[in-house]
Amino acid sequence: MSTPQTHDAADRARRLQRVAELLAEAVTPQQVLDAILTDGVRAAEAHAGAIGVLSADGENIELLAQRGYDPDLMSAWATFAVDAQLPMSEVVRTGEPLFISSLAERNRLYPSLSHLGQEGNALAVLPLAIHGAVFGGLSLSFDRDIVFEHERRELKMAFARQAAQALARSRLYAAEQAMRERMTFLAEASELLASSLDYNRTLGRLAQLCVPRLADWCAIDILGPDGEIERLTVAHEDPEKVRWALELQERYPPDPEAPRGVANVLRTGEPEFLPTISPELLDEALGDDDELREIVNELGLTSSIAVPLRVRGRTLGALSLIAADTHEPFTSADFELALELARRAAVAVDNALLYRKAERGANAARALAYVADGVVLIDHEGVVRHWNQAAASITNVAEEDALDRQVREVVPSWDALTTHVPLVAPGAAARPVTVPIVIDGDERWVSVAGVRFEQGTVYALQDVSEERALEKTRSDFVTTASHELRTPLAAVYGAIRTLRRPDVELAEEDQAQFLEMIEAEATRLARIVDQILLAGQLDADAVELEVSECDPSEIAARVIESAQLHAPESISLSLDVDGTPKISCDEDKLRQVLVNLVDNAVKYSPGGGHVELRVRNGHGSCVIDVVDEGLGIPPGERERIFEKFYRLDPEQTHGVGGSGLGLYICRELVERMDGHLSVESEPGKGSRFTLELPAR
Amino acid sequence: MLCRVNLSASGMDVLEAEDGRTALELARSERPDLVLLDVMMPDVDGWMVARELADDERTREIPIVFLTARAESGDKRMGQQLGGVGYIVKPFDPVTIGDFVERVIERVERGEREQLTRDISSTTGQ
Repeated sequence: MSTPQTHDAADRARRLQRVAELLAEAVTPQQVLDAILTDGVRAAEAHAGAIGVLSADGENIELLAQRGYDPDLMSAWATFAVDAQLPMSEVVRTGEPLFISSLAERNRLYPSLSHLGQEGNALAVLPLAIHGAVFGGLSLSFDRDIVFEHERRELKMAFARQAAQALARSRLYAAEQAMRERMTFLAEASELLASSLDYNRTLGRLAQLCVPRLADWCAIDILGPDGEIERLTVAHEDPEKVRWALELQERYPPDPEAPRGVANVLRTGEPEFLPTISPELLDEALGDDDELREIVNELGLTSSIAVPLRVRGRTLGALSLIAADTHEPFTSADFELALELARRAAVAVDNALLYRKAERGANAARALAYVADGVVLIDHEGVVRHWNQAAASITNVAEEDALDRQVREVVPSWDALTTHVPLVAPGAAARPVTVPIVIDGDERWVSVAGVRFEQGTVYALQDVSEERALEKTRSDFVTTASHELRTPLAAVYGAIRTLRRPDVELAEEDQAQFLEMIEAEATRLARIVDQILLAGQLDADAVELEVSECDPSEIAARVIESAQLHAPESISLSLDVDGTPKISCDEDKLRQVLVNLVDNAVKYSPGGGHVELRVRNGHGSCVIDVVDEGLGIPPGERERIFEKFYRLDPEQTHGVGGSGLGLYICRELVERMDGHLSVESEPGKGSRFTLELPAR
Repeated sequence: MLCRVNLSASGMDVLEAEDGRTALELARSERPDLVLLDVMMPDVDGWMVARELADDERTREIPIVFLTARAESGDKRMGQQLGGVGYIVKPFDPVTIGDFVERVIERVERGEREQLTRDISSTTGQ
């Protein structure tokens, strides 16, 4: 049987069912609030509804939304204490619903409300609880008096339970969503931070990423080398505002000693979080500067976060986030996110700095590898820290065998090498010292300079053995040349002094001998001087050849003829010609070479013997041998005799004389005529010099 | 020949040897008052001659004056080590050689042999 009352009850239940469906479909907190306050309130036959939730600290109730009440009135009740004498406070405190049938009853129970909200009649305030824990209240106002009998109360309570569940679910969903967003944001930020080693640019892009998702404003400051605050970037969605902020920065440069804000964060390394920026705080920060106050007011700052970019105990900078015109005030979740973001940014900056440093080091090492000087770094413990390629080749120790080892083990003669090297401070003029060291049995002359600095001592090594050898050759040249000149000079000078001696009357025979001596020694002097000059020209590559077609056998014949005139009686000379190809050469130079070789053959045959000149055809060449039966040349000396000033047993060759330049000049001349000069010899039996010149 | 003519002019008897070996033989057989020794000679050089003269009882006391084109301090040291009492660097004035030899012989007789040896290091010419 259906009565109007039962019909009404069934109708209310159906409507509640419909609201339950709507609530189940709602996902976000806003959708849930809409469903509760529109469909739900209508289904409950109320004309207005409001939802309040406990604040994070549990001290207050914050109104989330309302529908049907006077908006001004509602804004006055945005937040109120849990322990206030108010219907919703009481419901949240007790967890019990409150049903008030009329305005009169309400005013009686809550006298403080008697002057307010006169438009409503009956009032129901229901707890919003999940798993028995109250997190808020739902108030429903009716435009008539209602007696809330049992069935009505049950339905309202069921509605409140469904609302609470939907709300809690949507809040969880929102929290998850926010978490996901944060994770996504962090992932994007991390990717960005890892994308480049140009951290200035990267941090600029990071600030861009923060607005407007995380804040209205984002700024990043870096601590300069002298502790100054350097604003790296300011970001806002509106570029116009960024310009304005930068101008503001110019006019109001940050005070590194400021007790709050970025300066404080940079100084202390501690983060700063202001969930709400109170007028008192602004007063304190702005002081009497009215213009700045106006600017800040215009900005409408509501909340701020400043976190340090800190890594390995060092504060590199600070990241600031500001909520102003559009962004919700920051929550502790935002603060956590900012901390994490700053941590990652700091690591990225640190990595970039380390990489830059490492790269600089690597570049330096690469450059040093190609430096001709050996560069060696020894730390305070005497351990090798750097050993470049040149150092390896000077010491004969490869880099991998030297690094991280005691330098004394690496190069046993290291102390001898460096003991006398004055160590200078960085930047001072190096004072290299040249010292001989023995490496694997070889003596090398090394120029060493040392600079001592914080990490140890860096040595620059230069192998100057060649320069040293050259220097020695030069000084030998001077010594040898002076010897060679002194002997004939002594003879000429001595002979003249003796001839002019007034107190001695020389026999005619002696006089003649002295004159001969003067002539012979003067000729010898001239020849030595000529050879020295020619050697100099050869060195300077200034000898010009006059090449023409010539017959080597003819030249050889004339050389032998001439030699026969001067040779001692104990020497016999002969010429053997076996076919003679024509050659192109400088005839004078070839003659000079042959004269020299024949002279040598005679000189080095002090016990007499036979000297023969042989001319024959080679393979596409003309071969001339100068063969003697003289002293011969020990095997070790056969190449050295062609060196400038090298002489076989210089002490014993007096009398045979010579500048030590003859064979050097011969080989140089022959090679300039595209020929080749070599020697074969058996000590005690004689020598054979072979000259080969290309045939025409 | 230069030395022979000039020393003879100073009234000295001069024996000539054209190489080291002959010089040694002559010194041993004739025991001269002084040996004027060229360093650079074929076969047996002056240093070797000086060494052998010093090793031989018969010739140990004969003062030696080196005559050479080598003017380096190393060579002079060698001359000192071998007990030379004079060191003449070429070229020199042969006209004064007689006086020089006389003076050296006098000083050696006065017992100044060691002083003469020491003086070699400051020798520049005759």
